This record gives sequence, structure tokens and C-alpha cells, in this order.
Amino acid sequence: MKRVSLTAILIASFTATAAAQDRRGFVWNDRPTVVFGEDIDLEVRGRALVEWRRFDPEVGEDTFNLPTLRLGLKGELTRHFDWEFERQIEQQPDEEGVDRWQFGEWKDAYFRWRTLDSVRVIGGRFKMPFGLEQTTGVSDLDFAYRALGSTAIAPGRDRGVMVFGDPGPVTYEVGVFDDDGDNGQSNEPQFVQAGEDLEDVGPAFAMRLTGDLLRVLPFSGRLRSANIGVAYTNSNVPEGLNSLRGESFWGTADFFERVYVKGRRQRIGAQFDWSPGPTSLKAEWMQSREQRKEQSNRNQDLSDFVATAWYVSGTWFVTGENKDDNINPKRPLLNGGPGAIELTARIEQLGFKSANTEGTAFTNPRADHLRPNSDTVVTFGINWITTRWTRVIVNAIHEDFEDPNRAPQRGTSSFWSGLVRLNVVF
Amino acid sequence: MRPLIRAGVVLFVVAFGVQPLAAQTADDFFNPGVLHRLELWMNQADWAKLKAAFQENTYYPADVVWNGITIRNAGIRSRGLGSRSSTKPGLRVDVNRYAESQAFLGLKSFILDNLTQDPSGIRENIANQLLTRIGVPAAREAHTRLYVNGEYAGLYGIIESVDKSLMGRLFDGADNGFLFEYKYQLGSPWRFEDLGRSLDPYKLRFGIKTNENKSDATIWGPIEELVRLVNTTPIETFEAVVGPRLDLAAFTRFLAAQNFIAENDGFVGYAGINNFYFYRRQDSSSHVFIAWDDDVAFLQSDFGITTRLEDNTLSRKVLMLPRYQAMYTDVLVAAAAASEGWMRGEIERLLDMIGEAMESDTNKPYSNQQHADERRHMLAFPDQRITYVRCEVAKQTGATRPPGCQ
Repeated sequence: MKRVSLTAILIASFTATAAAQDRRGFVWNDRPTVVFGEDIDLEVRGRALVEWRRFDPEVGEDTFNLPTLRLGLKGELTRHFDWEFERQIEQQPDEEGVDRWQFGEWKDAYFRWRTLDSVRVIGGRFKMPFGLEQTTGVSDLDFAYRALGSTAIAPGRDRGVMVFGDPGPVTYEVGVFDDDGDNGQSNEPQFVQAGEDLEDVGPAFAMRLTGDLLRVLPFSGRLRSANIGVAYTNSNVPEGLNSLRGESFWGTADFFERVYVKGRRQRIGAQFDWSPGPTSLKAEWMQSREQRKEQSNRNQDLSDFVATAWYVSGTWFVTGENKDDNINPKRPLLNGGPGAIELTARIEQLGFKSANTEGTAFTNPRADHLRPNSDTVVTFGINWITTRWTRVIVNAIHEDFEDPNRAPQRGTSSFWSGLVRLNVVF
Repeated sequence: MRPLIRAGVVLFVVAFGVQPLAAQTADDFFNPGVLHRLELWMNQADWAKLKAAFQENTYYPADVVWNGITIRNAGIRSRGLGSRSSTKPGLRVDVNRYAESQAFLGLKSFILDNLTQDPSGIRENIANQLLTRIGVPAAREAHTRLYVNGEYAGLYGIIESVDKSLMGRLFDGADNGFLFEYKYQLGSPWRFEDLGRSLDPYKLRFGIKTNENKSDATIWGPIEELVRLVNTTPIETFEAVVGPRLDLAAFTRFLAAQNFIAENDGFVGYAGINNFYFYRRQDSSSHVFIAWDDDVAFLQSDFGITTRLEDNTLSRKVLMLPRYQAMYTDVLVAAAAASEGWMRGEIERLLDMIGEAMESDTNKPYSNQQHADERRHMLAFPDQRITYVRCEVAKQTGATRPPGCQ
């Protein structure tokens, strides 16, 4: 709480100083902003996502949920640099065990050099360049939650340095990171036997190429504006129960528990993003392969552990807003209009298996032939964008597990759930 | 290939080559007549973790090899109460933990007893063999040299798990009853007193092993009722009221058999009831006791034939009935008869069979000298016990005392 107060004092003092100068000082630019001069400013950003949920059958989750509450600062420092710091605010027990609101996990914390369009450099903590949906902000998604693959396979944020730019029709991103992203963190403290040394995690290498590649093909039409990309990561995973895992949509159960891995973890991904007029069509496919060196019951190598995910989603603004632009309702609710209304649908799957599929399949974490399991999810939704800062999301979600014995409720393979969420973002 | 040459090759192979293995059965696996060799193949890290966290019930995968048969990816965990050990862990092997369809000789699981509480190494084996001979339900048991990742881990007992498979074998295929494992509560010895109307004390003591999805009232209600009726029913109507809920004849056999083998930690144990399974037969309200973990039996040959029978509500009231009192002494006499000419020879055979395996077991928590002392004790027990029991029964019943009585 002290840190929250300090932030407020800092902002107030900046405001007071800046207000004394012409065309500088505190301004409202969709959000509270302090302008110090040309290309030098500081924005205060906040996000609050509140939702009401129902489950059938019940999975033991709370009806009300506050998945995201964040406060951040973002600014420019001349035309050469910009920066951002954002942190989660959450309830955590204090020393006496009483829940108190306090700052939690750091989200973005980076500094960026941006002088040239063709070569830019970012350093700090930010999202690794893998996954279209994973690298889209949580409040800018078409659905309340990302697809399973975007949180299970795509690595997410990490500390690192990345070079990126768009010298031509293609945008490139190439980086080196400390670990392997928040979603790929090691789970088990390494068990070291006498005479063995602790192994380091990472570093991870990640790269992505995206662009309007269909423009080079000899046909015309609106599809030429589609953005296509491929991505790759490579890292080293220490021995242990450290593989990626399959969590159910609500994270209440693992439909595929971690297995023992040791060696290289590679991801490959492909993405498709097309937004003609008021509609959009997005699709991703991604796969990870993790080595399992010396992990058999007889200390021999096992076949790779393979996770595969894909999704296809479509959206349509029935009120006619252009999907490509920043979504501003043509007739905002505050002006007596209906706001912007968008219909959404997504089908997705996340599955796990071993590379070897010969012989009896087992569920234990050292089996060469792992019994596969997957979760197929269909989401239907309505987004009601009332103002540029507020959005209501209604999602109906149907989950279907391949192996009912490894579902959130053993023996039940299908689940329905629904939510109504209010996004407040400035 | 010409037919003549092909026939010659076949004949050669049959005569000198592969000898077809005879079909193996669970009886072969639990055959106490041979010292088995069992191999576990576990990832070195898992074996180290299991030993480091031996107090936990975490499962690890392992390949199990016996007599040319390999069980791939069985589930292995540390087991036991006082017998848990980091150097020589007692193990439970779940054959089908990671593949429901996997079976091994019709077994879903078995126990690898580390024999850490029995320096003789044979108490439970002899006890179970005798109990079976006199009609008391008990698990089968054999001895094995256990090798983990190619290294000798010690002498172990292979014990049949008390599970649906065993219930099917003991009760003519009727394996869908309610099976309970008695959970001893440290610091709270129980002697079948009424624990009140709540089911909680019974849930604590009687761990359900089958039909776990049924309601608490269905699972533990009949046990609460049985204990209440044992405590409240006058002796005049005891057999009529309690009889349908507990096989009194089987209980009397169980009680007498435990006394004959001088089991000091059994149903009338020194610290209350301990070491048994309890089975409510399929489609019945009748319960029966199943012997378990008699590894501290054979305490002393002059173990009194009525030791602590009065301390336990159930044994006291059942043996107040003349029919069961007579049955109790009859079973003692029958046990003596079944042991005569068999027990000493079997003890000697087992001790000779396991001798080298026991002596070379460097993970056992007792010395070879202690094992040698126990060998002498066990060899002396049968003849002394048979005589003592016969004399005491004669004294109690007024029959002619046999020779050798003091």
C-alpha cells in the first residue's frame, strides 16, 4: 500500500511541475497523462477485469472473480526511447495472515530504443515473440480468456533483450531470454544426487517473422491484407517434472500432468490474422517438443514429449465498426447509441502425447508411450463495447476432454461454463 | 526352404532351443517353497527420491521383472507404519496404476515387505501358512531377493494385497463387498468399546478400500451398528442379534489362531486392537476378519491362551457364550494338531532357504547375530507351543493332561 501512495505522490508532483509550463502538464489523453515536453511524457494506465461466472457441472470455483487488476506507467523519453512498467495488484496475506491489497507480480517492465524502424531494441521484462494471442494484451482480446495453447505452450513474459523491426513487408523479432517465459517455468526444484551439480535453466532463444506475405502472391483481393507469421523458440529444460502441462480451461485441474524432461524444449508456431472491415478471422497452430534424455525407468532416453494446440476464431461487428482500427463505438452508449456490438466464436484444442505411439500407453510421467489427452473448447461470445474505456464480454464455453478419467471431474468428459465480464481499461 | 529341412530346424529348436515356459500363475508367484528373484528398474532419481521421502506415499513408475515376466510402468510407493525405512523401504506395487488394463497373473497389486521388524524374516510367512491351514482368511506370502537397478536391495517378503482379488479368492468370487483396513490410532487404543453414534470415529479407524463412492451411512453405518449392538446387547440375545452382523464362528477361529501363534499385536493386542482387515460380504450384513501383518507373532511359547481376551468387549462377550468358548479351545487344539509335524520343519526349511539372502542383506536394521538368535527362538517355538497349548486347554477343560505338562 505504501508503494501505491508513493506512486500517487510521484504523479502529483510531476503534474504540479509540468502544469506550470505552456501546453505541458497534466492532460487527459484517453488516460491521465503528464506531458513534460515534445516526445517526453508519462501515462498512467490501469486495467480492472471483473467477472461473474457459472459452471455446469460445478468445478468448485468462485462465482465472482477479479482476474486482472493492474496499475502501470508508460512514457516516452524523446523520440528515441520509450518505456513501460505495469504491475498486478492483488490480495495477499500479510504477516498476520490477513488478506490485504498489495502489489504483486511485475507484468511489463521494459525500456525500448526506437530510433529506427528497421532496427529497434527492447530490454527488460516483456513478452517473448511467440503466439499471436499471447502477445495481445489481456484487455484487447476478442474473448475473455486466451485459447489454451496461448497459455500452455506460448512462453509469455520473461527477462531478456530483443531486436526487432520492420525493414520491409516483413516484421522480425529476435531475442534472448533469461528463462523460458512465465508459462514454461520449471516446476520442480532440481533433485541433485551426490556428485551432481545444479543445472541452469535457459537461456531461451526466440524469433518471429510476420508480414502481409500474401501480397507477394499473384492474386488480388482482400485476402492480400492478411498477416501471416511463423515463430520459433529454443531453450534448455533441467531434469525434473518440468514439462509443459495441460490445465483445464479454468485451471481447476490438470488434464495432462507434467512429465519428466531433460534437454531441449523447442516450439514452432504459425499465425494468421485477417481483419477485413468489421470482421476478423484469426488462427494459430503451435507445437512444443521436449526432450526426455535419460528419463526412462532404466535411465535411458524416452521419445519426445509433444504438445500441440490450435484455434480458429472469427468476429463480426454487427454495428459496423472497423476491426482494424482502435475500436471506438460509432454511437457510444453515453451519446445515446447502442455502443459497438461484436459477435465472436472460437474453436480450439490443446493436446499432449509422446512422439512414440507404439505399444501399451501409460499415464505415468516416465512412459515412452504416454496415453494422450486433449481438451477441445468451443467458445461463443458477444462483446459490447460501451465506451472506449469499457467493454462487457459474455462468453459461453464448452469443454470436451478426450480422456474422461483425467478431466476436472473424473468420469465426466464435457463441461459448460459461462461468464459475464466487465473490462475497465484506461 | 525344403519341407525336410524346415522340419529338421523345427525339431532342433524344440529339442535344444527355446523351451516353452510353463504358464505362470499367482500361486507360483506366492509359492513359499522357493526363494524368488524380483527386479525393480526405476530411474535412479526416483529411487533416490523414494528413499529420501520414505514417509510419503508418492508413487513412482518402475519396471518389475519376475521369472521372465516384465510388468512395465507399475506404480511403486513406500509403505508401512513402524516399518518405514529410508535404507530398506517397504514397497507397494500397483500393477495397473498407470494403465487400467494392465494385470499381472490376475493381480492388481502386491506388497514387498521389508521384514525390518522381524529379525527372523519368517514370522509372517509361517503365521499366514498356519492360518490358511486352519481356515482363517489370510494372504499368501513368499520370500524374494529384491534387486533395484541391478543392485541387491535385500531380502523381502512378497505378500498378496488384501484387495478385491483376494476377496474373490477367499469368498468364492464374491468380491464386491465392503473391505476395510484397520487404521491404528496412535495414543488412542481401542478395544471395541462403543464410540458413539457419530460415524467419524469409525471412518478414522476403518479405511474403506472398495466401494469408496457409496455414502458414509452405507459404508460405515453397519460398523457403527455392530459395535453399538456388541456393547449394548445382553448376553442372552447376543448371538441372535450380533450373529447376523458378524460371523461369530469365523471370529472365534481368528481369535484362537492369533493366540496360538502368540500374536501380541493383533485383535487383543498389547495396545488395543490392531493389524487386520474387515470385510462385509457382498449382499450381506455379515462381517469377517482377515489376518494381516503378523510379523511380531511367535512372541513366546508360553503365551497365555486367554491373554487379554477379557480386555476386549467383543472377545469377552463372544467367549461368554458356551458354544464359542468350546470352539475357541477346539481351534487351539486344531492349530496344535496342524502345527505338529509341520511347523518346525517348515520353519527350518524357510530359514535355510533365506539364510544366505538374509546374511548378505546389508540394508536390514539388525545384525546377523540377531538373526541367528531369532533362528534358535523360532526353531524352539513349535514343539514348546504345541505342548503348552495342549496342557493349558486340558487344564481349562478338565481333560486329561498330555505328557510334558508342567
